[in-house]
Amino acid sequence: MSRRQASHSQSLNVSGGIADRLYTLVVAVISIAAFVMVAYPLYFIIIASVSNSTMVNQGQVILWPKAVNFYGYEQIFKDTRIWQGYMNTIIYTVLGTLLNLLVTLPAAYALSQRKFKARRFIMPLFVITMYFGGGMIPTYLLIRDLNLLNTPWVMIVNGAISVYNLIITRTFFETSIPEELHEAATLDGCSHFRYFVSVVVPLSKAVISVITLYYMVGHWNDFFNALLYINTDSLQPLQIVLRNILLSNQAFAGGAGSGAGAGAGSYAQQFADQIKYAVIIVSTVPVLIIYPFIQKYFEKGVMIGAVKG
Amino acid sequence: MKPAQTTVPPQTLRGNGWLRKQAGHVQLWLMVLPAVIYIAIFCYGPMYGIQLAFREFDFSKGLTGGDWAGFKYFEQYFTSPMFWPTLRNTFIIAFFSILLGFPMPILLALVVNSIRSNRRKRILQTTVYMPYFISTVVLVALLQIMLSPTTGLIDGFLKALHLIPADTNLIGDPGAFVPVYVISAIWQACGWNSIIFIAALSSVDSQQYDAARIDGANRWQTVWHVELPAILPTIIILLIMNMGSILSVGFEKTFLMQNSLNKPVSEVISTYVFNVGVKSNQFSFGSAVGLFNTLINFTFLMLANALAKKTSKISLM
Amino acid sequence: MRKKSVLALLLAGCLAGLSLAGCSSKENSSDGPDSGNSSPEGKTKLKAIIVKHSLTKDVGEMKWLTDLEEKANVDIEWQQISADWDQKKSALFASGEIPDLLFNATSNSDFVQFNGLFEDLGPLIDQGAPNIQKMFSEHPELKTLATQIDGKLYGTPRYKGIWPGSTASMFINKTWLNNLGLQVPTTWDELEAVLIAFRDGDPNQNGDKTDEIPMDFNPIGWDFTPKLLLGSLGLPLSNGASDGYFTEGAQVKNFYVDERFKTLMQFLQKLYSQNLINKEAVTQDYSKFQSVARGSGATAKVGFTWGWETGDRFGNELKDQYITLPQLKHHADSTDELYWSDDYYYQNYGSNAVSVSASSKNKEAAIRFIDAFYEPVVSLQVLFGGMNDTDKGMKDNGDGTYEVLPPADASLDPGSWKWTNSFADNGPMYIADALKDKLTLGSDMQNVLKEKAVYDELLNKADQKTNVYPQNFMKYSTEDTNTLAMNQANINNITDQKWANWLTTKVDIEKEWAAYVASVNSSGLEQNLQIRQKAYEEYLSTLK
Repeated sequence: MSRRQASHSQSLNVSGGIADRLYTLVVAVISIAAFVMVAYPLYFIIIASVSNSTMVNQGQVILWPKAVNFYGYEQIFKDTRIWQGYMNTIIYTVLGTLLNLLVTLPAAYALSQRKFKARRFIMPLFVITMYFGGGMIPTYLLIRDLNLLNTPWVMIVNGAISVYNLIITRTFFETSIPEELHEAATLDGCSHFRYFVSVVVPLSKAVISVITLYYMVGHWNDFFNALLYINTDSLQPLQIVLRNILLSNQAFAGGAGSGAGAGAGSYAQQFADQIKYAVIIVSTVPVLIIYPFIQKYFEKGVMIGAVKG
Repeated sequence: MKPAQTTVPPQTLRGNGWLRKQAGHVQLWLMVLPAVIYIAIFCYGPMYGIQLAFREFDFSKGLTGGDWAGFKYFEQYFTSPMFWPTLRNTFIIAFFSILLGFPMPILLALVVNSIRSNRRKRILQTTVYMPYFISTVVLVALLQIMLSPTTGLIDGFLKALHLIPADTNLIGDPGAFVPVYVISAIWQACGWNSIIFIAALSSVDSQQYDAARIDGANRWQTVWHVELPAILPTIIILLIMNMGSILSVGFEKTFLMQNSLNKPVSEVISTYVFNVGVKSNQFSFGSAVGLFNTLINFTFLMLANALAKKTSKISLM
Repeated sequence: MRKKSVLALLLAGCLAGLSLAGCSSKENSSDGPDSGNSSPEGKTKLKAIIVKHSLTKDVGEMKWLTDLEEKANVDIEWQQISADWDQKKSALFASGEIPDLLFNATSNSDFVQFNGLFEDLGPLIDQGAPNIQKMFSEHPELKTLATQIDGKLYGTPRYKGIWPGSTASMFINKTWLNNLGLQVPTTWDELEAVLIAFRDGDPNQNGDKTDEIPMDFNPIGWDFTPKLLLGSLGLPLSNGASDGYFTEGAQVKNFYVDERFKTLMQFLQKLYSQNLINKEAVTQDYSKFQSVARGSGATAKVGFTWGWETGDRFGNELKDQYITLPQLKHHADSTDELYWSDDYYYQNYGSNAVSVSASSKNKEAAIRFIDAFYEPVVSLQVLFGGMNDTDKGMKDNGDGTYEVLPPADASLDPGSWKWTNSFADNGPMYIADALKDKLTLGSDMQNVLKEKAVYDELLNKADQKTNVYPQNFMKYSTEDTNTLAMNQANINNITDQKWANWLTTKVDIEKEWAAYVASVNSSGLEQNLQIRQKAYEEYLSTLK
């Protein structure tokens, strides 16, 4: 794609009139504005995570960190549960996402086939579940009855399919994979399975990487499943561990004297809020690392033209 | 996969057609089966819980064994003085979230797609993607710090440029609540939401660009005639699904942003249910209001879906 | 009924099997299949859940607790919750499968909502809980506190008796007063003059006349707010006055619709319009509220405010600049009775420290274990940490006196140490009054009591039978609870925004007052006052 795009941009430049130059200018302005608007607050989180929290709250920390210290990170990394949490989250994310893809992709393919009449009632039944649910308690009882309570499986199996992602994938299959391709394959004696595996999947790298990302991030950030269904410390994912660390450092942030007459104050206030920012960084860095790997699949695009030719 | 090269004799094709069609259906059924089973167990299995909205919760009789209460809890909400204010506030926030929040990722995707330098493209894309991972608590803390009327950086910037009156309190003024809520939501999710459009744009056929160029189209026209049509199905599908959230406003963010000054516009359905429910532990009231909320959302979804089907032949189902 | 309990047993067994199947942790691996019965040493095995403070360490590391289990001849398998219990509990309770013991995990509304899930402890206490019986005979009001509207007792209470009688203190910066040559204010009028001087001068002497915030506070409904000035006008607040409720002359009232609240708001509006109150008082979060008062280095920023204690409110560097200010009079010639918020019950009494599952197979062992906590010297350790070389929470002087030790971990303040090291205020406890004189508190609590001593005179004057609103002691039926919650949400929606609007704008409060009161009353306040009055009178009838 990069070469192709480069060449077409070049040719645009050659033939480019004022309109094209204006376009380039608008693109440049918007991208710089977007970059600055997003980058500064992100930078702020980083400096806030190593600055004195009192000064951060007072608005004194603007461009450079003040009274630099690493208390927030020390508090997080001195807690040994964090490595176990990372480990668990990685396992849940990898296995969970694999299962998600194994369930979602074939289903999206089948539901994208116009000849598959059953989709007329399957789709509405799926869509309804995006809106209507039994609620927390019946779901809890179900998980218990399936013997999934307090097992790693609940983190992997629960949420095996997101109808939202299914619809996105199906729409892509419907609109971006030419139907002639399937007809040709059928003529060739190709079964749905084989066609799906050897044509559809390779042609859909872009959308597959998007929903892979959606599912992965969903697992990575999953907090509520663990909160409800996991009791054992050694099974807790990163998000729960981090939340516990955060809470124990903000113990009195809700009001010192209140609450059963706590009698203890937020003496460590000047550090307490640091953790809030440090936690974001600790939990997000791994997700940022994987992004470029996924990103490269959108850039390559899909060479449908080549296949057709 | 090689394109079909051999010519199949017509008779063979016709003869096996029916059988093959049936075999094909079985395969398709097998492919959709895991999803169907999953949805049946995990989504339809607990669905009986909806009854809670129509029953008195009585623990000793089992989860849904309580006496039938009919529409009592719905009426309780409809007749409450907070019914219209919460409905209105929820709708306004959600409406502007969609109106402004939906097009922005598309715009961003088009911009990203037009950047020639791969490095710059990646830097921008990765940067705008990051805010999605900031928790709501930290987002609201950032707003508190940056918008503070005495020390806030953004507040100071806007006031220095006279974009807002000098006595504005962006965290408190009722008029500022919806803009702050919506703009911060866009800030946080725009990059993330643009991913799907960037992916869709990547599938635009290079032949189409070439054709546009040969026709003498400028870059604006290419956007209009090539890129937008290519991602239109994705846009429509996502818009339909967004319409299904016309009465959904994130509880946590609203709750954290709420204060005594902005309460006239910030009390939404979910915070109201929390205020009633948390004190009395009422399952039924919460379920009833939740069900009402869902029904409105679902109605909007169906309307949007029907409209899309009629005008563009693209639809959810 | 019998059928149900058999089912419950089956389910309980099912749960036990389940948690075994899913567990790989070391704590649980020692469990035999005989859980619920006796362990090899003849101890009774029990399961317990504890909702602990987020600072509190693994309870398995508390030696005093292990000793206590030993003493009561039980072996407890702890499940520890330190966050988000409210979200977990409805699912757990609704599933009907709860452990034998629930520490700090239940509330009055759970007993109503999950009727039949919890055991009535009344009969068990009569049979096998001498310490709890003793507590009830010495402080009968604790029994009242623990008894529900159906006459049953589903959770045991807690009692400290050594905590201060008020949550909030009022602070003024004495250094600033000295720098400007001002007297400590004693009336609202003098306060206003002082605040103006703070605004116009440079009391913190850093050369910048604009960086002083004369007055700062939390939103009215919270703890550290100007609502405490209502005491200047003869309005007796008590026990946090949550949602504005208080009693006066044995009548339940609400200050949001009281003429004296109007007077207060007019005063505050006047101060705000003169730029004497922090512009962010209404909107700042608690982090910022605390941070601002900590100034920068040795330069204080806030002149007059409310808080728990000076060290907590201003940080160690600035705390000595501030003094606790006694309640102010309205005007020099005012004759209104002065009050300070009487929060003694709120600070010293707690309900539902422990509950027991109705389906527990070993209720005798359960109550035996619970009762062990209520032995007064054990209770001291529940609150402050163990008296042994491992826990290092307290010292037994050997002569019947006890001492709270300073934190063994020097990086912690005494408050955090206490919460880390023990159940602290969340535990079941009865600090008998006889221990009061034999106990030396930690430096933090000593300072709190010393600072708050200025309010003792006013607090001692409060008439418990007419002017103290006993929030914790009042019980309501399910229906009343629902009505109260429903109405309160509507009432708060008006009151919450109105005071903020009055404070920050120049509207004529006098003119809006009548319409405001009428709308609050019609939103359900009248009904709520009736329900609360009824519950209050029932409470009064239990007093001797």
